[in-house]
Amino acid sequence: MPDPRWVVHLDGGVLPDKEAIGGKAWSIARMRAIGLPVPPAFVISTAACRAFLEGGGLPVGLSTEIDQGIAWLEAETGREFGGSKRPLLVSVRSGAAISMPGMMDTVLNLGMSDSAEAALALETGLAEFARDTHRRFLDLYSSIVLKIPSEDAHPAAVPTDLRRRIEAAGHAVPESAKAQLIEAVRAVFGSWNARRARRYREHHGIAHDLGTAVTIQAMVFGNLDERSGTGVIFSRNPLSGERVPYGEYLPRAQGEDVVSGRFTPLPLDAMSVREPAAHAQLLAATDLLEREHGDIQDVEFTVQAGKLYLLQARSAKRAAQAAVRAAVDMVAERMIDVKSALLRVSPEQVRSLLLPRLREGATMNAAVVARGEGACPGVASGLFVFEPDEAERRAANGEDVILVRKTTSPDDIHGMIAARAVVTEQGGSTSHAAVVSRALGRPCVVGVGPSDIRAGGSGTVDGAAGVVYDGTLPVVAPREDDDEDLATLIAWARDHSSIRVLKPREATGIAGCIDLDARLKSLPLEGLAMGLNGAKAARGAALSNPAAAVSAVEQGIETLVTEPVLPALLAIMRMSP
Amino acid sequence: MNDRDLVLHGLAIKRHATAADVAELIDLAGPRVSALLATAAATHRAVEVSAAFALTPLARVALEGRYSLHFNAVRGDSEFVAAYESFEKLNRSLKDVITAWQTLDVGGARVANDHSDPAHDAQVLARLGRVQDQIEPILTRLSRRIPRLRVYADKLLTALEAAEDGDAAWVSDVRRASYHTVWFELHEDLLRIMGKTREE
Repeated sequence: MPDPRWVVHLDGGVLPDKEAIGGKAWSIARMRAIGLPVPPAFVISTAACRAFLEGGGLPVGLSTEIDQGIAWLEAETGREFGGSKRPLLVSVRSGAAISMPGMMDTVLNLGMSDSAEAALALETGLAEFARDTHRRFLDLYSSIVLKIPSEDAHPAAVPTDLRRRIEAAGHAVPESAKAQLIEAVRAVFGSWNARRARRYREHHGIAHDLGTAVTIQAMVFGNLDERSGTGVIFSRNPLSGERVPYGEYLPRAQGEDVVSGRFTPLPLDAMSVREPAAHAQLLAATDLLEREHGDIQDVEFTVQAGKLYLLQARSAKRAAQAAVRAAVDMVAERMIDVKSALLRVSPEQVRSLLLPRLREGATMNAAVVARGEGACPGVASGLFVFEPDEAERRAANGEDVILVRKTTSPDDIHGMIAARAVVTEQGGSTSHAAVVSRALGRPCVVGVGPSDIRAGGSGTVDGAAGVVYDGTLPVVAPREDDDEDLATLIAWARDHSSIRVLKPREATGIAGCIDLDARLKSLPLEGLAMGLNGAKAARGAALSNPAAAVSAVEQGIETLVTEPVLPALLAIMRMSP
Repeated sequence: MNDRDLVLHGLAIKRHATAADVAELIDLAGPRVSALLATAAATHRAVEVSAAFALTPLARVALEGRYSLHFNAVRGDSEFVAAYESFEKLNRSLKDVITAWQTLDVGGARVANDHSDPAHDAQVLARLGRVQDQIEPILTRLSRRIPRLRVYADKLLTALEAAEDGDAAWVSDVRRASYHTVWFELHEDLLRIMGKTREE
C-alpha cells in the first residue's frame, strides 16, 4: 500500500502541521498524543481541498484513502460504516488553520439510513432515540450539505416526511453511507469559496489558496446501555474560581439531552459511584488538560459502555469572580506568570464586580412590587414611568426613572436609553427588552406579569435577582481595595505598567494635572482628545472607563488619577505596543 | 400603498428618524421623502424636532386603520403568508443567537458576555451567518409581493460583515443599524403588514 497522500489518521503518532490538517484535527491529534481518550478520527488534508478547487473534482486516490480511514475507524470502534449491525456513525466538520465565517458547519450522525436506524434501535433498545438520531441527521444533511432551508421542518417530522420534503426540493439523501460521506466532503471543500468566506479572506489578507481540511470522527453514544452516559466537567468552579472540579453527569443520555433540559443531570459525584474507573480517568484527564493549557478547562465527555471519551476540551467561560480568583491562584500555583494572569482578567470583568449592589439587609423590610426573570444584572432606583416619551422628558430634567412596559419594541428605545432600569410584563431572557437592556447596560427584569407597580411610585430594580422593590433602597459600590485578589492584581498591574494610574488620595502635588471631569461636562467622551496637547497628567472619574483611559494614554498622558484604578490599568496593558 | 402612507409607515417603524433614515428604510428617493415629511409636518401628521421626525398619535392610529386597506391582498396571499411564517420561526433562532451573543452559560448560570473569548464570539457569529443564509431566501419570497422588503437583506448583510470584521457592536448595539436593530425594524414592518402584534 503506497503512503497516503491526502488522509492523515489521528492516531497520536507524528503531530502534523496545523496548516495541513486545520485547527480542530490538530487539537484531536494533540489530545491523542498526550494519551487522552478521544473518539478515533481521521482528517482529509488541505492539500486535497486545493487539488479539488484547482481540478473541480475529488483528487485521484482520495476515495480509496477515505475507505482506508473508515476501515481504521471500524477497527478502532468495532463497528461497521453503513452496516446493518452495530452501525458506525461519524461526524464531518470543516477545519481551516484559521477559522473564518461562512464555512460549512458540522454534520452529525452521518452513515444513518433506514437500516442503520433499525440496527441502532435493536442495539440500544431505544427505538425513539434511533429515530431521533435519523431525523437529526436528515435535518443537518439537508440544511448543510443540500442547503435546503431548515426553518420549515416540523419538529415532530419523521424521517419519511423529511425525505419527502428533500425530494420535493429536488434533492435526495443517498442511502449509502459512503455516498453521504463523499457528498459531505465535497460540500466542505465547496464552502471554502462561499461568498462570506471569500470576502472575509480578502478583508483580512488571508490567501485564497490555503484550503480547508475535513475531519471525520466516530460518533460515540452515551445512551448505548446502562454503563453509558454523558456530561461536562470544569477543572475549577467557573462561577467562583474555587479549585474544585465542577460538573454534571447524565446517565444513559446523549449530549443533546443535557442541552435540551428534558432531563436533570446529576452532580459529578454520582458518576464516581456508577463509573468509578471512568470518573477517576476523567479527573486525571481534566487535570492534565489544565496543566497543558495553563487555564481552566471545560471538557465535554461521554461514557460508552464504561469507556470514557473526551469529545471537546476548551478554555472555560467563567464569571468575573472566577476569572479574578483563578488568575491569582494560578500564579501562586506556578502555572502561569503574572503577565498572563493580568491578561486573563478583562477591564469589563473588573467593572462588573464593582457594580453597585444592594446593601446587605436592604431588602429585609422592603415590599416586593414585581417579580420576574432577571435579564440584565445591576441595581437602579427611580420613578416608575409607563411611557417612553415621558421617561425621556423626565430624564432630560435630571430625574431617575424606571421604564415599565408590557413589552418593548423599537419604538421604546429612546425611553430605554433615558431610563435607569427597564421592567416588562411579558417576555423572557431573549425578548426585545432583554436584548436592548443588555446592549445598553440597563438593569432589566422581564416577564413580571400583572404587578403592584403603580404610576407615580418609585422603586428599585435588582436585575440579577429579577425583583422590583418598592421605594429607593440603599446601594453600596464595592471598593477594589477591599477584595484581596483585586488588590493583588492592582499591585501586579502597577509593576507592569509604564503609565501611572493613581487613586486621588495617592496623587497630591502633581503638577499640570488636567481635570477631565470639568472638561467632559461640555464635551462628549469622543471629545476627550481635545485640549490635552502636551499635558502629561490628567484626573477624573471618566478615566475609570477603559476606553477613556486608553484614549488619554494615546494622547500622551503618562499619569492618570482616578478610581477604581484596575479597569484603567488592565485596559492600558492591553493596548498594542 | 401610496407614497404618503409609505413614508408614515416608515416613521411608525423608526421613530425620531431623519428624512435620510426613512428614505433608506422604505427604499424611496430622498427628495420625495423629504417633501412628503414636510407635508406631514405641515398637516400635523408628524412633528419635527431638530431634523428628526415622529408620527403624531392621531396619525399613527389613522395609519394603522388604513393598513387593512393597503395590505389586505398580501394578507390573503398564501405564498406571502407562508414566507412570513418562515420568518417568525427563524425569528426564534435569531433571538437565541442574540442572547448567546450577549450572555454566556457559565456552569449553568448566565453571565454577561464581555467578548473576551474570541472562540465563543466566532461561534455565535457563525450561527448569525446561518440566520443570514436563511433570511435571504425568505426576503426574496416576501419581496415578490412587496419589492422594497428586499433592502433588508443588504442591510442585514452589511451589519453581519461589519461584525465579522471584528466590530462587535454591529451585532446588537441599539444606537446603530446593527443586525438586531435592522432585524427588529424588519419584524416591526412585517407585523404591521400582517396586522399582528408582537408576541414575546
